[in-house]
Amino acid sequence: MIQLSGITKIFSGSSGNFTALDNITLQFDKGSFVAVVGKSGSGKSTLLNMLTGIDRPDKGTVVINGIQVHKLGESRLATWRGANIGIVFQFFQLIPTLTIRENLLLAMDFVAAISKQERLNRANALLELVGIAMHADKFPSALSGGEQQRAAIARALANDPPILVADEPTGNLDSRNASAIHALFRQLVEAGKTVIVVTHEEVSSAGYDRVVTLRDGRLAGDERKAA
Amino acid sequence: MSPAFKKALNDLRVNPGRTLLAVCALTIGLWGVGAILVSYFILKNDLNENYLRTTPHHVALTSGDFARLDLAAFRQRPEIESAEFRDFSFLRIEVSPDQWLPLWLFGVSDFGKFDLARIYHEEGPATPPRGAVLLERNGQLVSSLRTGSLARVRAGGKLLQVPVAGIVFDPAQAPSTQDAFLYAYTDKATYSAISGEPVDRRLILRLKHAANKQEIEAATNAIVADLRNQGIVVGSINIPKPNQHPHQFQLNTLLAFQGSIGLLAFLMGAVLVSQLIGAILAQQVRQIGVLKAIGATRGKVLGIYLLMVLMLGAMASVIAIPLAVVSGYGFAGFVAKILNFDILTRTLPLSLYAGLIGCGLLLPVLFALPALLRGSRIPVRQALSDYGLGADPVHSLSIAGNMLSFSIRLALRNVLRRRNRLAATVATIALGVAIFNAGFNVRQSLLDFLEESKRAMRYDVQLVLKNSIPHEQALAPFSGIDNVQHIETWNGGRGRLQSSVVSTGNGIGIVALPRDTALVRMDVVQGRWLRDSGELEIVMNQMAADDFGEPVELGKQYRIDLNGRPAQVRLVGIVKEFDAAKIYIDKAQYDEYANPERRINSLMFVANDRSYERVVKLKRDIERRVAETDLDVFYVMSQAERAKIIYDHLDIILTLFMLLSSLVLMIGALGMAVATSTNILERTREIGVMRAIGATPKIVYRLFEAEGAMVSMTGISLGLLLSLPLSFYAAKFFGTLILGHNVSLNFAFSHAGFAATLAITLVFGWLASRIPARKAVSISNREALSYE
Repeated sequence: MIQLSGITKIFSGSSGNFTALDNITLQFDKGSFVAVVGKSGSGKSTLLNMLTGIDRPDKGTVVINGIQVHKLGESRLATWRGANIGIVFQFFQLIPTLTIRENLLLAMDFVAAISKQERLNRANALLELVGIAMHADKFPSALSGGEQQRAAIARALANDPPILVADEPTGNLDSRNASAIHALFRQLVEAGKTVIVVTHEEVSSAGYDRVVTLRDGRLAGDERKAA
Repeated sequence: MSPAFKKALNDLRVNPGRTLLAVCALTIGLWGVGAILVSYFILKNDLNENYLRTTPHHVALTSGDFARLDLAAFRQRPEIESAEFRDFSFLRIEVSPDQWLPLWLFGVSDFGKFDLARIYHEEGPATPPRGAVLLERNGQLVSSLRTGSLARVRAGGKLLQVPVAGIVFDPAQAPSTQDAFLYAYTDKATYSAISGEPVDRRLILRLKHAANKQEIEAATNAIVADLRNQGIVVGSINIPKPNQHPHQFQLNTLLAFQGSIGLLAFLMGAVLVSQLIGAILAQQVRQIGVLKAIGATRGKVLGIYLLMVLMLGAMASVIAIPLAVVSGYGFAGFVAKILNFDILTRTLPLSLYAGLIGCGLLLPVLFALPALLRGSRIPVRQALSDYGLGADPVHSLSIAGNMLSFSIRLALRNVLRRRNRLAATVATIALGVAIFNAGFNVRQSLLDFLEESKRAMRYDVQLVLKNSIPHEQALAPFSGIDNVQHIETWNGGRGRLQSSVVSTGNGIGIVALPRDTALVRMDVVQGRWLRDSGELEIVMNQMAADDFGEPVELGKQYRIDLNGRPAQVRLVGIVKEFDAAKIYIDKAQYDEYANPERRINSLMFVANDRSYERVVKLKRDIERRVAETDLDVFYVMSQAERAKIIYDHLDIILTLFMLLSSLVLMIGALGMAVATSTNILERTREIGVMRAIGATPKIVYRLFEAEGAMVSMTGISLGLLLSLPLSFYAAKFFGTLILGHNVSLNFAFSHAGFAATLAITLVFGWLASRIPARKAVSISNREALSYE
């Protein structure tokens, strides 16, 4: 269960203050597939940062599975995040100097939630799951965009986190690859994961369990798929 | 291999240029510091160890009464460790046709057994055959004499042919190359035959448990008193500086200089490493964000980059440590050759290697730590949104900037984007330039001092007799000699200066000269020169003031021994002179008080034609006249030779100045290259954007070149300014080290040095920005725009 209550985030800059999120309250259930949509500057990436603990709110609370995320210190937050939230970035952000398999192993190494003996098998299994096992020993630069995004998803799943957060995961992919990634997320939701996808694209509520729309830092819509 | 280790390793592998730059920077820094450490370790130990292994004597006593001494019984005295007769005479030896140098001839009791003042056999027989001598090895460098040569020796007016049977090494003597003396060793009978002197007149001894000069003096006084009770009157007492090689001062200067440059190189290396690691981290900011996003704590991020720095340090150590050891030994060997001693340190202690490895591995980590801590502290959000574009541009330049061309304005703004780095880079360059230029200036101070020394003594050739003789007798052989304007005659000898509590130990040289002589214009650093007054006045050089053992006071009366007569004298001045301890006194007063027969022992020749060739010819003519007489000459020396002796003493220091200053400059240039490379690495994407909107490679190249020029010009200008106070204090510091008694070298500005510094640093600065700028141009648009 993810509970965001009264989240406000204000950025200060040379041109004055900018309210990125204004008193947002949201709750995401376990095992749901959620899309957070909005135009550029709507606050969706800031919301993602709140969810993942990458940034802290100026006001409000972030509670995930009973943990008050906004109160965790830097080091605890990093370990907690590694174990509980898998992040998928728009530009994949794989470590270019490690092979695909090593990218997964590095994530497991950081969190140490998976025993050392299991790590290699788990990495191979995850790569199998996302369909790029044959590229395990290649460096990211040798893979196509779609393959790199699959690798990034596999890395996000490395420590078996219950929540997966993806920032514009298909923004850099062609439609065929985008569909494949979407299907992969759905597969993960069916396996019990909570998947939250942030996107600026128009999405059909049919593809998600819930579509949350942000506009100018405020909640502009919250559409749930009929059961 | 853990993924974290692999990441650190691969990060180095995929950026070979950057890794090479980092390894080069670390290698040069470590090499420099390491070589200084290694040579410091060797030199600090070996010169004195060479000296101490000879078991040097503490005291030398001379007496004509030693025939009464029971040497075996004397050796049994509780305070005596060892004692033996080691006579020596000042003779002259021909080192090349018509070139004569002083020769110290030693009469050795037993070549097979040295308990004291040991010499080492090197070539030929260990014991010279009757009638032959063994030559000290350093003499070969200032003469054509070798084993088997027949040396021409002048002794008391006699000219002898003496075979050189072999070569020995005597580490206890000042090097022939520096002091222009030769040393020869022979048995007692041959000594007597060559020198014409009786044997067993000079007793050298080493005391047990004598730790310092005071203890040696106290024990010596007791021994001399006991000998007097036995009817043995000691004529002279000589106590060399205990356990210290005669040229230790040179080494002390070198070591002090090495130490200070080593420290500076170390600090500059620190700046360099810190910048470099900062640059690597700047490139990896987004990756740090990703690492944190997938669960890496700050400690883990820090660990990865520490590992990377350790790897860089390890690579640099593998290259730099062997280089440091080889060049450290090489430099120590160079100094050893000049100062005539052997390198005894064959293996360096493990602790030194451990120190070097520690320096190689840990110092980069230590220096990089602030950058690493800063880098690992970047919040995830900030790290993930990093585009490598650097800091805010500088708005304040807009007004002044409008008057400049667009590229210059852009370059200026770029330079000011990373102000901390700019400050560190400029400081590194400035320090390098300042030290390099100060090296030239201090060198100029030393050369000026050399020139001053030449100007101070305005005679052309000096002839010093072993004994004082009547004025007419001394001058007679030189009447009508070609190219002589006039000859001035001086006198002197050895004396002791005494206050109520202390006295100079070894007999200070007394020089009695006309107070208004035109031949001496020394730099009076305190008080005044001699003048007509109703009382006995003296002026001493700074070495005499040092030798005294307690602070001397101008205007104070001291007791002095003049030609065997005690006298009360007033100290009126201290002069700066690169020479042994000397006291100057007015010859008229001296003659009146202690030399009624007006004898003289020095002839100062002033030439009509003072060109080098004519003075050399004059010296030869003087030597020829000497050869026709029975004058017992101590030495004949031209001013040029005297200047060369002083120069040779300073040359090693000057050479080191330049070597080490160059090292510092190199580190400065490297700092500049690192800073420019860092700028380029950080702005790779920006380069891509610029090129995408129409900047040609030439424009990009010029931009970086202009930035480099701005930084290096600022550093060079500051460095040149900084070099002025630095030169002033360095001249003061090294002057005191070389000359003693708080006598500093005068500040000098080397125009040639300034031009050389400017030229070299401009070329270095240009290269340091040109090479990375070319790299910037070589990056393709695609690479630049996709750069993470």
